[in-house]
Amino acid sequence: MSVRKTLFALSSALMLSVSPVLAAGTVNVAIIGEPDTFDPMVSTKDVVSIVTQHFVETLYTFDESWAVVPLLAADMPEISDDGLTYKIPLREGVTFHDGSSMDSADAAASLQRWLEVSSRGKSVADKVAGIEASGPNEVTITMKEPYAPLLSLLAFSNSAAVVYPEEIIAPEIETIVGTGPYKIKAHEPDQYTQLVRFDGYTQPTGAAERKQVPDEIRLIPVPDGNTRAEGLLSGQYDYADGLSTETYDRLEASDAAEPVLLKPFGWPVFAVNHKKGIMTDLNIRKAVQAALPFDDMLYAGFGDEKFFKTDGALYPEGWTWHNNAGVELYNQNDQAKAAEYLKAAGYDGSPLRILTSHQYEFHYQMAEVAKAGLEAAGMKVQLDVVDWATLAQNRNNPDLWDIYITHSPFLPEPALISSLFSTAREGWDNPTKNEILNRFTSESDPEKRKAIFGELQKIVLEDVGFIKVGDFNALQGKAKGLTGVNPSPWPAFWNAQVSK
Amino acid sequence: MAKYLLRRFVGMVVVIILVLTIAFVLVRFAPGDPAALMLGPDATPQEAADLRTRLGLDEPIIVQYATFVGNALKGDLGESLFFNRPVTSILADRAEPTIFLALMSLFFALFIATPIGIYAAYKRGSLLDQSSVTSAMLAASIPSFLTGLVFQRVLATNLGWFPTAGYGGPDADIWVRLGHLILPSITLGITNSALILRFTRASMLDILGEDYVRTARAKGMPETRVILRHALKNAGIPIITVVGLTFALLVSGAVVTERVFNLPGMGNLVVNAVLRRDYPVIQGTLIIVASIYVLINLATDLLYFFIDKRVKY
Repeated sequence: MSVRKTLFALSSALMLSVSPVLAAGTVNVAIIGEPDTFDPMVSTKDVVSIVTQHFVETLYTFDESWAVVPLLAADMPEISDDGLTYKIPLREGVTFHDGSSMDSADAAASLQRWLEVSSRGKSVADKVAGIEASGPNEVTITMKEPYAPLLSLLAFSNSAAVVYPEEIIAPEIETIVGTGPYKIKAHEPDQYTQLVRFDGYTQPTGAAERKQVPDEIRLIPVPDGNTRAEGLLSGQYDYADGLSTETYDRLEASDAAEPVLLKPFGWPVFAVNHKKGIMTDLNIRKAVQAALPFDDMLYAGFGDEKFFKTDGALYPEGWTWHNNAGVELYNQNDQAKAAEYLKAAGYDGSPLRILTSHQYEFHYQMAEVAKAGLEAAGMKVQLDVVDWATLAQNRNNPDLWDIYITHSPFLPEPALISSLFSTAREGWDNPTKNEILNRFTSESDPEKRKAIFGELQKIVLEDVGFIKVGDFNALQGKAKGLTGVNPSPWPAFWNAQVSK
Repeated sequence: MAKYLLRRFVGMVVVIILVLTIAFVLVRFAPGDPAALMLGPDATPQEAADLRTRLGLDEPIIVQYATFVGNALKGDLGESLFFNRPVTSILADRAEPTIFLALMSLFFALFIATPIGIYAAYKRGSLLDQSSVTSAMLAASIPSFLTGLVFQRVLATNLGWFPTAGYGGPDADIWVRLGHLILPSITLGITNSALILRFTRASMLDILGEDYVRTARAKGMPETRVILRHALKNAGIPIITVVGLTFALLVSGAVVTERVFNLPGMGNLVVNAVLRRDYPVIQGTLIIVASIYVLINLATDLLYFFIDKRVKY
């Protein structure tokens, strides 16, 4: 055999051995990292929500227009006139992955655990008088005071009020048992979570059908963004989350994949330390707000107007909560005015400490431009650039920062924005804001709530409770042949179909 | 020989205890909170503090150190904060891709470097010699992550010759898993071949000038036999040293390459553990890596003895 023939035979053999041979109906999803837990009650991380929503379910969920609809509940709750009692009917015939049937005891025990271990549950626990299994298929939540966002909290997949069998309820659950359309077949940390169709699944009555189209869903942690993009472009992954905006043009030009632009996705935010440091002075906060060049910061962070919008409203156009109250205070880019505020504050040249990291490059890039704008107004700025684990630690210590940079998707209900509450790490405890927030959370009339949210947005801007930088669009990507996945910060794959 | 082995063994124990202590101290004094990371962005400081208590991270450092050393001496490296599994079991899972990657890349490196190094020395000053030296410089100068990215884009994404990343998934057999290592191995092999090539060439040049080589030639011995039997055997010790060190480096985790190709090996494990502040995994990996280093060094030294009978311990 000639050398050329030998090489050809060898490479052919290698090709056969390394080409990915997929089971029919397998959807491969590249996610940004390994979920720390399969218990979404105890985590507020988006990657945990993306993975766990396939195998555990909440009583309610959101539809495509972010309205609350029943999932494990049979219907919307019967709410008493005083807004204190929520009678929630449960669907009958729902089976857990261990074969047992779901009943009200499971739901009540799970909700009780949610109040005890979940960040969002704890935030509402002091308003809950009791939870009881009021019938074989009915659970009743009694409130001490009306709390309108309750259903949104119950519907959210993050820090989620999921239902587990009563028997496994404990402060820490070792093996998760859910009711979702898929169940965990195998899990190799940092390699994959392999989900297979749950044959005992019954369809919800309110939420969109979960058709269980793929035989398998493989959620593959790929921490490197470039590797996620290459894997998608090569056809190895059918969907990739969290892609760099620089990948957009390659995806558009590709025959194998296409971009999925979540427009708008969320908002970068400068969280303000109201507990300690120079930002506790309103004039300093106003100086920072006046000096920041928001459009330049967004350009630096996202590079192309395809990916951002200079917008001061807390919710973008098209959302129920959108309004323009107070937005004239956004994007002033007026360093002279900022200098006047600094003078009024008797600013002594103490450095403004901005805590950020390279974990999300746009955070750092925005911080650099912000620094230039603030220095032009006469402020001394100290950029504390650390890794994400250090940032997560330091932001819990109010002695160490004045501003830290983060971002959030647009949440379906404003009461899910933790920074609005004085109990959050930022500690924004303005009495007027607290009064507006109380009215907002206890009002049940949607129109009145919208009007109150306008007041809330206004005081966020006037008191500089936190600083919204703008709207940004997130980039995901999908294989050209993939259908059945709705673009979302928490994409779900139960209806996904791949034609190869 | 027995005395030598005993001395080396005591040395090994001292090195490992030192590494164990340094690893513990370094990771504990580095900033960052695993509890705050695990709970996500909206958890309150109090929740993070509660989780730290549950994980035993708020115990006095000295108590944590004593527990760690006591357990390590019994072969228990602790439990991962994130995976709720023993570190030893996680490391055992991650050893396969790393060891295969090390072996395959070493094979590629030797396959490229040894014949070229020998031939370059034999034809000293020739075009091939000069171009091989230049190529080796180039290969050593290009960081492996760049080579990896270029190979990944061109050979995997554009040409589809290789998988882009990963280790094959749940139903991958050994051949598919090895197939996923070809591209990363070539990437690492090219980088490491530079050093081996230069050592082989330099070592062969020294030997080819020796009297006994001239004598062998004068006796009419075939040139192949002179080169391979007499010269290469005697040039072997420096080559083995560099091969041993390269292998130790590769087994301890080709961090960047594993990251680029998303391989679930020890390099990727330690990077993730550092980012997550998974203290037991960081400590456990460092101890294992240090042990591998000293063992491979010992094996290399012992190999000298078998190759060159003049070496005495």
